[in-house]
Amino acid sequence: MTTAAPTTTAAGRKPPVNRRRVALHAGCLAALLVMLYPLAWLLATSLKPADEVIASLNLLPGTLEWSNYETALDGVNDVSVGRLLSNSLLIAGGAVLGNVLSCSLAAYAFARLRFRLRGPLFAFMIATIMLPHHAVLIPQYIIFNQLGMVNTYWPLVLPKFLATEAFFVFLIVQFMRGLPRELEEAARIDGCGPFRAFRSVVLPLTRPALITTAIFTFIWTWNDFFTQLIYLFSPEKFTLTLALRSFVDASSQSSFGPMFAMSVIALLPIVLFFLAFQRFLVEGMASSGVKG
Amino acid sequence: MTTTQTSASLRRPERPAATGARRPAGRRREGAAWVFLSPWVLGAVLLTLLPMAVSLYLSFTDYDLFNPPSWVGLRNYTQMFTEDPRYWRSVAATLTYVVIAVPLQLALALVVALALKNMKRGKGFYRSAFYAPSLLGASMSIALVWRALFNDGGTVDNLLGTGGWVNRPGWALLAVALLTVWQFGAPMVIFLAGLQQIPAELYEAAAVDGASRWRRFLSVTVPMLSPVIFFNLVLQTIQAFQVFTPAFAVSAGKGGPADSTLFYTLYLYDRGFVASHMGYASAMAWVLLLVIGAVTAVLFRTSRSWVFYAFEGDDR
Amino acid sequence: MPGNTGDRTRTSRASRAAAAAFALCAVLTGCSGAEDEATGTDGTVVLRYTWWGNQDRAARTEAALDLFEKKHPGIEVQTSFSGYDAYKQKLATQAAGGDAPDVMQLDYRMIDQYATGGVLLDLAGPEPQAVLDTSEFDQGLLGTGRIDGRLYAVPQGRGTETVVYDTEQWEAAGVAPPRAGWTWSEWADTMRQLAERTGRPGGTDPGQSEDAFEVWLRGQGKALYTEDGALGFTADDLTRWWTFTDGLRREGAVSAAEQTTQMDGTVENTPLGRGTAVSDYNWDAPCSGFLPLIPSGITLAPTPSGEDGTPGQYFKPSMFMGVAADTAHPEQSARLIDFMLNDPDAAEILGATRGIPVNDAIREDIAAGLTGFDRTMYDFHTSLDGKLDAPPQAPPSGDSALQTTFARDYDQVSYERMSPREAAENYVTHAKAELR
Repeated sequence: MTTAAPTTTAAGRKPPVNRRRVALHAGCLAALLVMLYPLAWLLATSLKPADEVIASLNLLPGTLEWSNYETALDGVNDVSVGRLLSNSLLIAGGAVLGNVLSCSLAAYAFARLRFRLRGPLFAFMIATIMLPHHAVLIPQYIIFNQLGMVNTYWPLVLPKFLATEAFFVFLIVQFMRGLPRELEEAARIDGCGPFRAFRSVVLPLTRPALITTAIFTFIWTWNDFFTQLIYLFSPEKFTLTLALRSFVDASSQSSFGPMFAMSVIALLPIVLFFLAFQRFLVEGMASSGVKG
Repeated sequence: MTTTQTSASLRRPERPAATGARRPAGRRREGAAWVFLSPWVLGAVLLTLLPMAVSLYLSFTDYDLFNPPSWVGLRNYTQMFTEDPRYWRSVAATLTYVVIAVPLQLALALVVALALKNMKRGKGFYRSAFYAPSLLGASMSIALVWRALFNDGGTVDNLLGTGGWVNRPGWALLAVALLTVWQFGAPMVIFLAGLQQIPAELYEAAAVDGASRWRRFLSVTVPMLSPVIFFNLVLQTIQAFQVFTPAFAVSAGKGGPADSTLFYTLYLYDRGFVASHMGYASAMAWVLLLVIGAVTAVLFRTSRSWVFYAFEGDDR
Repeated sequence: MPGNTGDRTRTSRASRAAAAAFALCAVLTGCSGAEDEATGTDGTVVLRYTWWGNQDRAARTEAALDLFEKKHPGIEVQTSFSGYDAYKQKLATQAAGGDAPDVMQLDYRMIDQYATGGVLLDLAGPEPQAVLDTSEFDQGLLGTGRIDGRLYAVPQGRGTETVVYDTEQWEAAGVAPPRAGWTWSEWADTMRQLAERTGRPGGTDPGQSEDAFEVWLRGQGKALYTEDGALGFTADDLTRWWTFTDGLRREGAVSAAEQTTQMDGTVENTPLGRGTAVSDYNWDAPCSGFLPLIPSGITLAPTPSGEDGTPGQYFKPSMFMGVAADTAHPEQSARLIDFMLNDPDAAEILGATRGIPVNDAIREDIAAGLTGFDRTMYDFHTSLDGKLDAPPQAPPSGDSALQTTFARDYDQVSYERMSPREAAENYVTHAKAELR
């Protein structure tokens, strides 16, 4: 990092820098302790017996109830956890692919190309971010029903291929606007059309935004209980997130312990995905540094 | 279509590139733009415009999901504004929430991003750890955890002696807001990515000029980061106006206690899907849309004075 | 279209991209069509059957359906279940989208809306009636699924409300156990005594529960709704009820607002479930959830009667089965219902998982085999059999909205933001608008 200017100065100034660093780490660790406490609670609860899950005010379980995990791993509705997991992965993976592709295409047009109605269309695109999705839920359902797509994964994935998540279009537009125009100008002078310029010049530079898009899409799709609930009907198409709700029912006895265990299981893939991609995030950022 | 395109290219004769040789290229790029846009256009028409038009129509009807909608004119709107005290309580709760949650979350995300920015060791670890809460969403389990922590005799009560939060009006909203603030991972990552894009030369130049750390923050980081700050501000504000899941989860869908966390979309959901008044819910959605639109427009207007696009050449 | 402009090479590239986009859509649309067929390739009829419930109910239902498929080789049943709240919303969306499942489990409160909305098939119509036998049902209960002379849904099981309490604690407090036919003022005195002797509220504040209010109203010979679906009580009635419960709350005899507000529908989060009160006011079936929390045991007591001894309590159909009006297989759907309700083998597998069966013969058949909480519930029902008045007909459509409004308006009372009178008048105004 070239920004660490103090290290280039005389050795005499090093101690305060180290103290700063220690203080920084201490501060971060203290903040983390607070931040991660609820997560510890979640983990601990997944091992609590039924009578402690709700009423207990202690972090640690009185007795370890591993059977919560056994129940959770049995799956739901005769569908194995493996199946639920692969369903979730399929949807989240499709959504990531769709969003990265379609949103970067649209974003490039908005950020870099001239066309009629660009201003109004951009404003409209922003406006769709503001749309409360409950309002369009029923009309959308009717459309998907007409298309024969209810109880398939298409209603969950197809909208991502059509760049309906304006949030990401906007995100990528903002990033592309920050890129130096000279690179594309140079590419254009070299005879590149907009498609080549997009693919070979702009897209690589936009990698941090694309990876951000991928990470957010994955996590949000994974946790999006609502849409999955509406569109999926057959148990063998259920996702982990959806299966979680089968543990709690107001009209009969709930299984809170196994629900917490299932929550932990459902959390693992997102954690892994994030950890895996977070490495690329660093790489992507380092390699695409805007050097001009 | 061809005519208008030609006129569009003619509108910028001052640009040196607009010579006879370049003109087809401009037209070509107009065509290319529509290719790039085609998936978005399809989605916008089919999944946004069409449903929006339907919902606008429904907002002037009485529609219970089962029987065909019947036209009632402006009744949903007048009822909302003049006959529904719970509607106004939901407006008040939402505004309070926006004002509390958005600045807190953005400030926290920015502070953490700045702290991590120049860190040499453990950056990846910290970033992941600070992001961890955001991986959870607002699931039922995290809602139950939240209720346990912020209940009478819960961890927060024990530490601060405040009593329960989730079960007292006034405090419950704060507990819900903290759930959102706690999940600041998304804006943090966006801030980090933005900080990464600030050219190191600018800091070097500032250091050479003898600028202090604070000075460099004000004169390099803030202006260079302003598009990203703006992006986060707009997005988080819009999302805050639409806040649903945290309150739904923590209050078990009730928006309690005493309607104190009955946020706008929660009440909208309640009217539409619990009470089967889709017409009324659609009207509520359209009012919300207009309000968010107005707020966003104001934000965009103010942005002209403080958002700085580094490489913006010929835009606007 | 972008392909119509620009030079040739661009045209082909642009149109290729556009074509790809549309091909994608075509593929997506085409792919899914095949799966929605209601009839399998070999002529098997596929029925969709959805319901709400928990894991235990799921296991028993699957076992029963396996048996059904064995007995009816031409029919395959696809099931789906989730918790009640999620289920309710999903079914509403499906029905609104014209995509209701063939056979669906319904709540009392859904029937009017679904029936008048044209979603449900008349089960007394020729096709279903030929295979669905309702002769052995409790006729009073059967009538609850009837609207304007048409049978839109058949009750599956029955439940009733109860004052459920922690047996050990109640006895330790030395308070006399509830007697059959106790009145609301006796109940109130008991709550006071319990609070005095145990140092915690005697029970859940019932003011937030529309169900409890209904029992109280019925004890005075009134009803929530009139026969033509209008409001059956006045703001004065509601003011008296809320003044009564609010007074007990202020005394500490029933749970404080801060405790009551934490209820989310699950028994675990009631004051009794959290260990902050001695009793709860609830439906009988969910009370099984108290057992893991209160291992020393619980007792189900009847709900209080009016001061002149008029019982407010009634047997409510705990859930119904209905058939979609636009099903392609009305006969097979009715057959499934008949199996679930009348088949002795199915009854043995299902037990009391959907409440105590409404088929009188089945009810007696399974009695011997019931154990644990099912047995407790059966005995509780037996103790009430013959003493209760007939259930009211299914509530009008607006009721599902009013139920939450009721609890919310009482919140304003218990957090002392409104007087009982103010809140009651608000509610009645709102309810009248809702029932228009």
